[in-house]
Amino acid sequence: MNPANRRDILKYGAAAAASTLSLPGLNLAHAQAGPLKIGLITPLSGPQEFIGSYVKNGAEIAVDQINKAGGIQGRQVALEIRDDKANPAAALAAARELLGAGINLHTGGISSAVVLALIPVMQQENGVFMTCGAGTEKMNHENYSPNLFRPGDAPDARGRAQARLMAEKYPQITRWTGLIPDHEYGRTMWSIFVDGLLEFYPALTGKKPEILDPILLPYGVSDYRNSITQALRQQADGVYNATYGGDAITMFQQARGFGLMQRYKVVCDAANEFLVARGMKQQLPPHWTGMHYYAEANKGNAMSDRFVADYLAKTKDPEPLGWAAEAHASIYALAKAIEKGKSTDTKSVIANLKGLTWDTVTGSRTLRAEDNQAIKDVELVYIEPAATDKGYRVAQYQKVEGKSVLLPASPGKKLVLRTA
Amino acid sequence: MQASLFVGSHLRRDLLILLALAAVGLLVPHLLNRGLIFIAGMVWINAVFGLSFNLLFGTSGVLSFGQAMFYAAGAYATAVFTQQLGWPLVPSLLIAAIAGGLLAGCIGFVALRRSEGVYFSILTLAFAELVHLLVANTGFLGKNDGLSALPRPRFSLGGWGWDLSRGDTFYYFIVLVSVALIALLRWVTGTGFGRALQAIRQDPERAEFLGIPVQRHRWMVFTLAGATTAAAGSLVAPWAQIVTPELAHWSQSTNPILYTLLGGSAYFWGPVLGAIALSTVFYVTRTLVGLSDLVTGLLLLLVVLALPGGMLGVLSRWTTRSRPAHHKPQEPRP
Repeated sequence: MNPANRRDILKYGAAAAASTLSLPGLNLAHAQAGPLKIGLITPLSGPQEFIGSYVKNGAEIAVDQINKAGGIQGRQVALEIRDDKANPAAALAAARELLGAGINLHTGGISSAVVLALIPVMQQENGVFMTCGAGTEKMNHENYSPNLFRPGDAPDARGRAQARLMAEKYPQITRWTGLIPDHEYGRTMWSIFVDGLLEFYPALTGKKPEILDPILLPYGVSDYRNSITQALRQQADGVYNATYGGDAITMFQQARGFGLMQRYKVVCDAANEFLVARGMKQQLPPHWTGMHYYAEANKGNAMSDRFVADYLAKTKDPEPLGWAAEAHASIYALAKAIEKGKSTDTKSVIANLKGLTWDTVTGSRTLRAEDNQAIKDVELVYIEPAATDKGYRVAQYQKVEGKSVLLPASPGKKLVLRTA
Repeated sequence: MQASLFVGSHLRRDLLILLALAAVGLLVPHLLNRGLIFIAGMVWINAVFGLSFNLLFGTSGVLSFGQAMFYAAGAYATAVFTQQLGWPLVPSLLIAAIAGGLLAGCIGFVALRRSEGVYFSILTLAFAELVHLLVANTGFLGKNDGLSALPRPRFSLGGWGWDLSRGDTFYYFIVLVSVALIALLRWVTGTGFGRALQAIRQDPERAEFLGIPVQRHRWMVFTLAGATTAAAGSLVAPWAQIVTPELAHWSQSTNPILYTLLGGSAYFWGPVLGAIALSTVFYVTRTLVGLSDLVTGLLLLLVVLALPGGMLGVLSRWTTRSRPAHHKPQEPRP
């Protein structure tokens, strides 16, 4: 290399280094100044964007409301939003980036795999994470971490409430199967639902339910026809669906062509709220579904009424779904914990979140100190197609007291369930 | 025949560049926050991934569309050995590299005997998809959820130990291992074997006629690239602390191709520059939800159309414009 060339390389190298260091976002300082930043890590692209956008809107509404009321301890709040694509690796990269930039409080995370992946990094890097809908029970049991909280429905409360409702409403339907995505969330919800069927059917009807092998649906595909054909070969009277988000809409649409759902006397959906109904409208098979929050049933709760009004103003959608409410609740929980401890420090926030009772759009909730799980009522609705603008209507609504179905806390220990 | 810049010339220059990169890499934890250190660690790993791919493509003209299977093999092997079997880190990393080499050896033995050119590329893609499906359906490997909460174990050598779970120590470990792997790849490029590979790339028939065992050399370099790719993948498991089947997905196989095209496939350092540039683009566009992939895609299209020799090709033209060209790099032909 001649000297001129070497000089050029040094020159270009120095310029590159200088421009790299001047890139925006290279946060060399670790302490937060200015507004209080809260990380929001949720899917904003891909099939789970359906749910992630509710989380984002709900969190943004909570932040706007809090800021209008003067902020948290006089500090304005700002969200740092990252797309996790419902992918653990992408979520980890986002979490590391935000934690590295000094942001210790986070919310979002609707995928079980994402939440399980975030546990070690939140512990190592001293962060707090609130999930807005992840259904893995492991976070309260064998993978329990003090740094993770679930301010919404517990999977055991939801699944057992659904099983009890089935036993109460459909005592004659004892032959059950499942349409279960082959991943952590799907397997968790199926196991808990089966546990509930095996407890409540004998107790309430005196009959032992027959549990068929569930149809395990492949993950990350857009073609469920093989699984649907497999389900058609089964002779079951009741089905439990645990596919969710965009995947559920695709599966229900494809199942319609085969008349699969019409074969069952009752369809119980784990958690899609109105997503499938909005996708299928009058082609919707009537079914029960679990809601984190049903706005209509919470009318009269001032916080809920204001949330619905703000949601309508922000999105033109008059009916916010539950994930928006969970994100909203998570921000208010963080705000209350910070104000209670007068600190945004992780240790203080964790200490004050444990046992915290705070107001939400579904009423007052308490975060159980032992395992960071909210004690919250379970809301279930029966939706059917209807000649309305929406194409569907809620025919029945059932509220199940959270305490009556939530299993006792056992952090650090594996959840023991009955199996068929 | 003109030599490409790939030929083992400029050894001293490359050694200086490697040392400079290592020095900058070791300074990173003192300059940037923890989030960016994580990205920097991924850049080192991706650089080795890209260089391993270009050892195949740029040096010997073998185009593989399935390198992610070796990357995933290394990552999963490390995850299984360190987490599930409780092995120490160094033997786990070595086993991961060997696993990748063995897998590449077996696949290369079948694929290279049966096909070449684009047929070989498609065959590697098919094998990679097979590995992806196997991983996603194996309960022992965590199926679709993968294996999470992977440990960053203690590194010990004789009586000396290094706790890699504390602070940024694992980042330094990545830099050291990556530098060693890059040095190995550069050394291979400059050996007689490396020169024979370049002869094969330029004209396989003539190389065969000259006595170079083309098939055997291609198999050897495919195996070697599989091993170094798996070595890069083995660093991902303790660094990200999670492995998922996405590591074996075909889209992962496109990454080293993008690094190489962006940086310049005719240059040894091309994939390194490509990995740095692409990571920077991903970082800068990380908040453009829904647009980041579009921006990245358009940028790549622009580079491929406007800068066919990659970024180093442009830099090379700038630096040689004012003086007679000593070397005119040749684009590898698959």
